[in-house]
Amino acid sequence: MDFLYELTIAGLLSLKEYVALHVITCLIPAFLLAGAMVTFISRETIIYYLGATANKVRSFALASGGSFFVAACSCTVIPVSSGLYYAGAGVGAAFIILWVAPASNILAIVYTGALLGSKMVIVRIVSALSMAFVVGFVMSYFFHKEELGRTFSGFVPKGERVIGKKEAVLLILIVATLLAPNYLVQKGPYLHKVYVWAIGMLITFLYAKKAIQKEMIKRWLEETWWFVKIILPLLLIGVFIVGVIGKILPQKWVETYLGGTSVFSSWFATVIGQIMYFATMTEAPFVHKMLSLGMGKGPALALLLTGPGMSLPNILAIIKVFGLKKGIVYTLLIMVLGTFVGWFTGNYVF
Amino acid sequence: MRKIEILGMGCAKCNELEARARKAVEELKIEAEVKKVTDMKVISGYGVFVTPAIAIDGVVKAAGRVVSVDEIKEWLK
Repeated sequence: MDFLYELTIAGLLSLKEYVALHVITCLIPAFLLAGAMVTFISRETIIYYLGATANKVRSFALASGGSFFVAACSCTVIPVSSGLYYAGAGVGAAFIILWVAPASNILAIVYTGALLGSKMVIVRIVSALSMAFVVGFVMSYFFHKEELGRTFSGFVPKGERVIGKKEAVLLILIVATLLAPNYLVQKGPYLHKVYVWAIGMLITFLYAKKAIQKEMIKRWLEETWWFVKIILPLLLIGVFIVGVIGKILPQKWVETYLGGTSVFSSWFATVIGQIMYFATMTEAPFVHKMLSLGMGKGPALALLLTGPGMSLPNILAIIKVFGLKKGIVYTLLIMVLGTFVGWFTGNYVF
Repeated sequence: MRKIEILGMGCAKCNELEARARKAVEELKIEAEVKKVTDMKVISGYGVFVTPAIAIDGVVKAAGRVVSVDEIKEWLK
């Protein structure tokens, strides 16, 4: 009974540390940003350009960059990438989206920064993008035969612009609100951060009220609420479990299998990430807890990358949509790349 | 009879959109079939990448967002 009580306390402490302390200055602006991206950025236009670009390097760059805006969480990525593929776009670009969108989506990036610091975020983004190019080239190399004769047949979107000027300013204001509290208030009480945050929010909403149509503001807040409704419950459950795992997992075990910078640690972290289901954002507190138990930074990065991007159900869905062969090549490829990136960054970057 | 198709691979938003479409049909008191399309090949045949999308009588009306009941009613009139 005492043990159960201790576990509950560990879960609740974890909720306090990873969620409650981050609600105001991190989670609220992050969700508002995700909502704004979905509302104001024309994903159809990005995808159209992507599909219609014949040049490989260019379409890979577009796919990697565009992924940040196309899917704000891993939940919407399979339909987008398979839609692109069935419309006739290259298999490389389709799999790049499948990889980059969850591995470095905006919500996860923001949250990783809040919990694990800016260095980890930068390495996470750079690794995700470099891996994306390899994924693109390997997938097009293996399946180049069926690439022949495919032509893109996507419809031309109505508005050609990716985003309007006023809407872009709004997005920048939200990003500023997100970053300012942490960069302007490096030391001092948490309350000071809240002040900076409040000023940022006030400016953002005053601008929105003045520059953006009422109907679009409503749609933006609706989309934001959707993200909160879908992601927050999973995050709360996930973070509670993280606390419990941190309590029962022997430190020795973590140090032995996930510690240091060995190839095995990175491989093991990658495989855990590929098989286990992490709801978007929950990978960050999980990795933070594992780091405190002695996980190496390289393996931590491998887990951050593969955790939200892949899971057993996700692999099965990919096989169902793209076929067995592509699903297996992609899964093995990510395993090799994840292990390499974990080992490499563990030894030479961190 | 009108035909409303909800395009999407079965996400929370698609279910919400389907519910709203049914509500719109009910409020207008018209005969209409609400059908879910989950096959990605068919969906991209409509030129839709960003789900959920709604098509009325074979014409895509909106993609990538959950439209309101009023909007659906407007299209059905």
